[in-house]
Amino acid sequence: MQQNCGSRLQLQAIHKRFGHFTALDDIHLDIQPGELVCFLGPSGCGKTTLLRIIAGLEQQSSGRLLQGHRDISMLPPRQRDFGIVFQSYALFPNLSVQDNIAFGLRSLGQPKAQIKQRVDELLALIGLADQAGKYPAQLSGGQQQRVALARALAPAPGLLLLDEPLSALDARVRGHLRKEIRRLQQQLGVTSILVTHDQEEALTMADRVVVMNHGVIEQVGTPEQIYRQPATPFVAEFIGAMNFIDSPRQADGKVRLGATLLDMPQAASQGARVRLAFRPEEVQLLPRHSGGLPACIEQLEFLGTFLRARVRVAGLEPLLTVDVDPRSALHLHLHVGQQLDAHLPTVNLRCYAA
Amino acid sequence: MSQMSLSLPTLLVRQERRLLSLLFVILLLLLLLVLPAPLFSLLSRSLADAQGQYVGLANFRAYLDSGALQRALGHSLWVAGLSTLIVISSAFAAAWALTRTRLPGRGWIRAALLLPILAPSLLPAISLIYLFGEQGLLKSWLAGQSIYGPLGIVMGSCFWTFPHALMILLTALSQADARHYEAAEVLRASSWRTFFCVTLPNARYGLVSAAFVVFILVFTDFGVPKVIGGNYDMLATDVYKQVIGQQRFEMGAVVSVLLLLPALLAFLADRWVQQRQAATLTARAVPFTPKPDRLRDLRGALLLTPPLLFILAVIGMAVYASLVRYWPYNLQLSLANYQFERLLGDGWGSYLNSLRLAGLTLLAGTSLVFLNAWLSQRTPQPKPLLGAFQLLALLPLAIPGMTLGLGYIFFFNHPDNPLNGLYGGMTLLVLCTLVHFYSVPHLNLLTAFKQLDSEFEAVGESLRASRAQILCRVTLPLSLPALLDVALYFFVNAMTTVSAVVFLYGPDSNLAAISVLNLDDAGQTAGAAAMAVCIMATCALAKLLHSLLGLYLVRRQGAWRGQA
Ligand SMILES: Nc1ncnc2c1ncn2[C@@H]1O[C@H](COP(=O)(O)OP(=O)(O)OP(=O)(O)O)[C@@H](O)[C@H]1O
Ligand SMILES: [Mg+2]
Repeated sequence: MQQNCGSRLQLQAIHKRFGHFTALDDIHLDIQPGELVCFLGPSGCGKTTLLRIIAGLEQQSSGRLLQGHRDISMLPPRQRDFGIVFQSYALFPNLSVQDNIAFGLRSLGQPKAQIKQRVDELLALIGLADQAGKYPAQLSGGQQQRVALARALAPAPGLLLLDEPLSALDARVRGHLRKEIRRLQQQLGVTSILVTHDQEEALTMADRVVVMNHGVIEQVGTPEQIYRQPATPFVAEFIGAMNFIDSPRQADGKVRLGATLLDMPQAASQGARVRLAFRPEEVQLLPRHSGGLPACIEQLEFLGTFLRARVRVAGLEPLLTVDVDPRSALHLHLHVGQQLDAHLPTVNLRCYAA
Repeated sequence: MSQMSLSLPTLLVRQERRLLSLLFVILLLLLLLVLPAPLFSLLSRSLADAQGQYVGLANFRAYLDSGALQRALGHSLWVAGLSTLIVISSAFAAAWALTRTRLPGRGWIRAALLLPILAPSLLPAISLIYLFGEQGLLKSWLAGQSIYGPLGIVMGSCFWTFPHALMILLTALSQADARHYEAAEVLRASSWRTFFCVTLPNARYGLVSAAFVVFILVFTDFGVPKVIGGNYDMLATDVYKQVIGQQRFEMGAVVSVLLLLPALLAFLADRWVQQRQAATLTARAVPFTPKPDRLRDLRGALLLTPPLLFILAVIGMAVYASLVRYWPYNLQLSLANYQFERLLGDGWGSYLNSLRLAGLTLLAGTSLVFLNAWLSQRTPQPKPLLGAFQLLALLPLAIPGMTLGLGYIFFFNHPDNPLNGLYGGMTLLVLCTLVHFYSVPHLNLLTAFKQLDSEFEAVGESLRASRAQILCRVTLPLSLPALLDVALYFFVNAMTTVSAVVFLYGPDSNLAAISVLNLDDAGQTAGAAAMAVCIMATCALAKLLHSLLGLYLVRRQGAWRGQA
């Protein structure tokens, strides 16, 4: 299998306006060769627009794009070096699987034998060697997806763009294809950008995640960083679940969480009030009188691998969300209306300006 | 350095865009030349006297004072309104029976009900003369009423507009959502309640649309009232009388402007209604298949019988009359009436001209519509151009044939027009017919293109394929079925049209449908019937060819269309 050499991609101060609406605002990004980066964000935040600008299908209002050392800002799609997979796959329905995959090779004018060899290679790679003669309509959704991927990879592009490639598939196939795409991507070493609004997809597949909201980048980081150290309340809330508690800043620079006074986790936040954040799994529920804050369970939700409780804690304003693993739940005889003690975390607290 | 290497390809692509826009602009200008320009000529002519002096609304006032307007307009409105009522109710009943019952032979019944679309509108008029005229087979059925007049016009109009309404209503009714019917059944609604609460509301946009279409068709039709109208003045025949009979072109212009206004209003109203429908369309519907129900089948059969009998009788009578030696005295069958060399100066010439017109319109129309639809849907074009194009492409729906034809006289016959050499020739006939029937194929292809994935071109670019390659290898094969429909539509309409071309044909470009008119005028009714039957047979043949090609396509493309 010929080894791809993915290329580095730099976005510098990309702006995009549609009339008076700003879809993208000052986007800076540096993507390393062979890296898989996920654009993650709520619907309408500008992920697709950014991807289309990278592809040249949309023209940025201002800003520069560099691929390797080449300035591609003003280049049309045909002169850039990328393969793309759309949410709808956009397979050509009148062409067979192998003709779809060969499409890009034909327009490069490669000799027939070479095309055939490359197509066979790719078919083997995606595990569809026995389906070469079929038409897209005769394939399952997951198979179509893989054909679209193979078609995009056929000319060995330096950059692979994927716009919500898995969103039209059911959960099981999706899980399988995530691994498959990741494997292919790493095997070929092609620099890849994957657009998704599914955080699980982003966290499991990406080398780095770019969290976007309202046309700006909120945070760039590894999945671990994004989850453990969300840079903004938006990221904190968007990735996983998060409890927020507003608290006045104490005179000595400490903050109060329930009954305890804590050192300020970060010096960054200013203002008289701060917003503390911690994950549901960081709260511990214990039997009554074990030294925490008195709490009462108001709702219980069974979520398979764990239970999610909505808990009212004395002295704290909003209900807290607490995740309890099944074993502790059994141990505590968890039920609605139960009086317990809640231990709030004292380390690794995130702190934002309120 | 990098700036240098960039500028060349960028330039190329900028140029591709510019080239595509340029092409689009040229085609738009062509459309402007063949539609708004003639209309403008017509309008300015209606405001001038016979010498071309501007006289403001004097012509309109004169027409109003003569009392002709009130009479003709009243007649046209009455006839169009009544025909619409009859056609819509019977077509809705037929569409219901075809989509909601499991009557055996529905396919054949449907085909038979759509037959009138293949005939010129003159055919039912001629046939009705044989059925109910002075020497008609069934004259006694009319109880002393004369077929020449509103009665005949309404009957004839109902005949040829019925398929237009039926097609729209069939589409509307077959888009029904089975889930609504299941819900009604679960809620124990009676079949009448289901009809009034589910079927009727779901079809209401189709009903409105069909009503507008039929109204405009009848209101602006010229063939039927010309042949069977007797002394019953209608707006469309009045245009003809003013222009051909009395050579009063400015008055003809006045009447055709008046003919245009209601048609334009109906067109705008229909657009408005359709736009509201777009907002109410919901997610994907589950297609409805009727359950076996003998009683309902019987009801359907009862509803289908009257239109079916009427249509078959009218067609049968026309064919029979064309074969009879001398109605009603010598009923021997012969092909004497088909010997056009004896009846017409140019013999079969007009028929051959019609074939030429139809063939050329098919070729030119199909390519132009395809090219325009492709440019507007599948290439980047500036927004204002697209808006202008959309308007221009739909405008022909609102322009009556007579108005268009007269506008063509004024515009292309003007001594200052460098194109006036076209007048009376085949080129102008093709242009006029093409414009007259532009909108429906345009909408047809637009729908076909909208069903294609919007990212094909983007994928193509990422794979370094040129636009032309995507067009030839993907877009064109995928839109072949729609193209086939478009081709048939142009062919059939070019074969059967009268209203626009009646002002434009010359001695060397007489047409079959015009010959029908002239033969009828000359009292050669049997010859007229024969020519009308020839036209219809030709269209039927074209339809047959279309079906065969369609079948071939299904067999060839079935595999990838997922119907193999
Ligand atoms: N051609 C356009 N004209 C005007 N506004 C546009 C256009 N394309 C996108 N937008 C707007 O830009 C914003 C970003 O759109 P984009 O498609 O990039 O969102 P997205 O993050 O991909 O969302 P989703 O997850 O729903 O796909 C949206 O508010 C959208 O309405
Ligand atoms: Mg998107």
